[in-house]
Amino acid sequence: MTEKILGLFPVDWRFELTSLPYVRKIIKSRWMPFLPIVLNLSVFTIILMAGFVGGVSAGNYNFGIMFVWIVWWLLLMMVMVPFFSRIWCMICPLPAFGEWLQRLGFMKVRNKLFGLNKKWPKSLKNMWLVNFLFLGTTYTTGFLTTRPIATFILLMSIIIGSIVLMVVFEKRNFCKYIGCPVGGFLGLYSNMAVTEIRAKNPQICKDHKHKDCVIGNEKGHACPWMIMPFDIGRNTYCGMCLECFKTCPYDNMAINLRPPATDLLVDKNRGLDEAWKAFIMLGIAIFFFLIMQGNMGFLKDWANAKTTEGYLTFVVLHSIFNLLLIPGVFFVFVYASHTFGSKEIPLKKLFTNFSYTLVPMGLIAWIAFSFGILFPNSSYVLHVISDPFAWGWDLFGTAHFPWTPFLTGVMPYFQIGTLLFGLVLSLDIGFKISKQTFQKRDEAVRGFIPIAAFLTVVTIFLIWLFTG
Amino acid sequence: MKNSMKFLIMVLVLLAIPIVILAQTEEPKEKVITINAQQFSYTPGTVEVNRGDRVTIRLISTDVHHGLYIDGYEVSTDARPGQDGSLTFVANNTGKFVMRCSVTCGPFHPYMIGYLKVKPDYRLFGSIWLAVGIFISSILLVIRRQKP
Amino acid sequence: MEKKQIMEIIAGILVLLATVGTIGAALLYDEHLWGGTRTIELTAQAPERGNWNMQEIHLVRGEPVRIKIRNIDTVSHGFAIPELGISLNGTGEIKPGNVAVIEFTPEKAGNFLFTCTTWCSTQHMQMTGRIIISEK
Repeated sequence: MTEKILGLFPVDWRFELTSLPYVRKIIKSRWMPFLPIVLNLSVFTIILMAGFVGGVSAGNYNFGIMFVWIVWWLLLMMVMVPFFSRIWCMICPLPAFGEWLQRLGFMKVRNKLFGLNKKWPKSLKNMWLVNFLFLGTTYTTGFLTTRPIATFILLMSIIIGSIVLMVVFEKRNFCKYIGCPVGGFLGLYSNMAVTEIRAKNPQICKDHKHKDCVIGNEKGHACPWMIMPFDIGRNTYCGMCLECFKTCPYDNMAINLRPPATDLLVDKNRGLDEAWKAFIMLGIAIFFFLIMQGNMGFLKDWANAKTTEGYLTFVVLHSIFNLLLIPGVFFVFVYASHTFGSKEIPLKKLFTNFSYTLVPMGLIAWIAFSFGILFPNSSYVLHVISDPFAWGWDLFGTAHFPWTPFLTGVMPYFQIGTLLFGLVLSLDIGFKISKQTFQKRDEAVRGFIPIAAFLTVVTIFLIWLFTG
Repeated sequence: MKNSMKFLIMVLVLLAIPIVILAQTEEPKEKVITINAQQFSYTPGTVEVNRGDRVTIRLISTDVHHGLYIDGYEVSTDARPGQDGSLTFVANNTGKFVMRCSVTCGPFHPYMIGYLKVKPDYRLFGSIWLAVGIFISSILLVIRRQKP
Repeated sequence: MEKKQIMEIIAGILVLLATVGTIGAALLYDEHLWGGTRTIELTAQAPERGNWNMQEIHLVRGEPVRIKIRNIDTVSHGFAIPELGISLNGTGEIKPGNVAVIEFTPEKAGNFLFTCTTWCSTQHMQMTGRIIISEK
């Protein structure tokens, strides 16, 4: 009997979006995703200009701050990742210069890339480096989200870093393992998405020995994300660059619509690096809420570095909370699962596998968090699009649009509804993972109960934190 | 199956009892509360009133121009040092409402937040009750399916 | 030229437009907006963060002038030249990240005070400067 997500969607249900008229034709053109990247590049130029010109002026009236930390972040969490997987990576302009340098051209296809083309060390082919890079970036959240020049420095660093590192390391190692602070969570949370790129007919790939998608040909590059398009297990490392659509001589790649969270049931390459990414994302949703949407002035003073000791306290507590406390509490429940379920399953395997239940929980926590930004503060966008650099422009007549919170009365209901849905989905995925991990069903049931309790406690805690 | 449904209903009813007890309403009163605003928080950080109270908030700023906007109620006032603000409303809606600064007052202005809690918080109790219900239902669901 | 080369050139032009072009367009638009009348760019910050960028503004009697007041601070500021009866419309406040524009033609020569008109800091009273209007 096929498993169903939420009892409704068969796990193996797919609808091929590239079977719709014109879609495949567009995807196969070399102008795709080049044109969206160029458009995005223009927006980023405005963001960088605004960040540079903005200096230490008010972030809420700055195009750079608003478009990165409000527009982009909200779109990423609420729309792009859950619905379209790593579509941001498809159109991200930050590594574009590095990639064009590697290819020594924009449209040209050459199979020897410029640069040292060093391979990334195997021991670092995981999320550990980006976990720490992301955590490090979050230490600066107080400045990053309020001082335009800080956002400018971050983005410029990534651009320059990518150009340098992409001439050293081959292909998209920069994006995968090194320099993108959000790469880790994009990879992990994309497992939740209702969209995927996969080979249409696996038999064709089995019979096709010369894997054009991996090696490249005159029509397109070897997969820059260094995965095997003919055998993509999970969305995690597919950056949706669409090269494989161009190289495949059998036109065998497809973009599919599918039920949510199916990748979380794929037992491939699960690891503690991803577990810790899940802990960090959940922990940060909590800690950031306390700082940015909480009522404790001293926390804000800490994050704002009012005093050095305060700032260091924040850095230390933030790190302990995310790296040790949340995993520690989770471990207690996993230990209970181990005890009640079956002691024959190695504790490490149980811990790793069940940590994937924190992926739906984490993504939904971030969506609920985002509602808390959307309703009160998105109105500032209207000002910044009319006067992006505070030069006295009024392009759309909205330069003096006042701060206008909306629907703040129903906002908590959006948050609660989202969190309860997140609980249901996490429990569903949790039990399925439990069945995968334990040998017998009754063990899976007993082992699931402590995990279900943990997920429920986290949900109740988040409901209380956000709305109570 | 009937047994587990009965069990679920029984637990949910039992859970509802402490909620009903906790959700005792009090007689509406007049409340005057003074809130001090400084970069970037309010003191007190939380204001608790009961449903039906007629609440007057006196806003005092100790450093720069600050505002106070209350989510849900959508009322606001502002204050400069030496020029207090005031707003009055009847707390008919229950739950936690975020109070936000409505005048850009420095770099951390968007994070300048206080909480207004109007008791009893039916919404919170209801959501916790639902979450527990989901938990118990999920356990019953997986146990139930075991018996063919 | 081969089709591929043409595509490459067009691609390169688009990238240039998106980057340099965007910056250029912004600068050109800004110049176009403020062309004509002599424009003075005054930036406002609280005294402890830099005060006005100009302590003295030199104008010529009879010459129309535009003063663009950019609030690059994180609190609201105001602007007025009380002795000339010049102040801002509306609330008289310039929110952070916002810009107010005053256009006038100085009618009498002299040395006048300009000041911030909104309580912006404990040192607000020091947020002043001089407008010096000379004869042609």
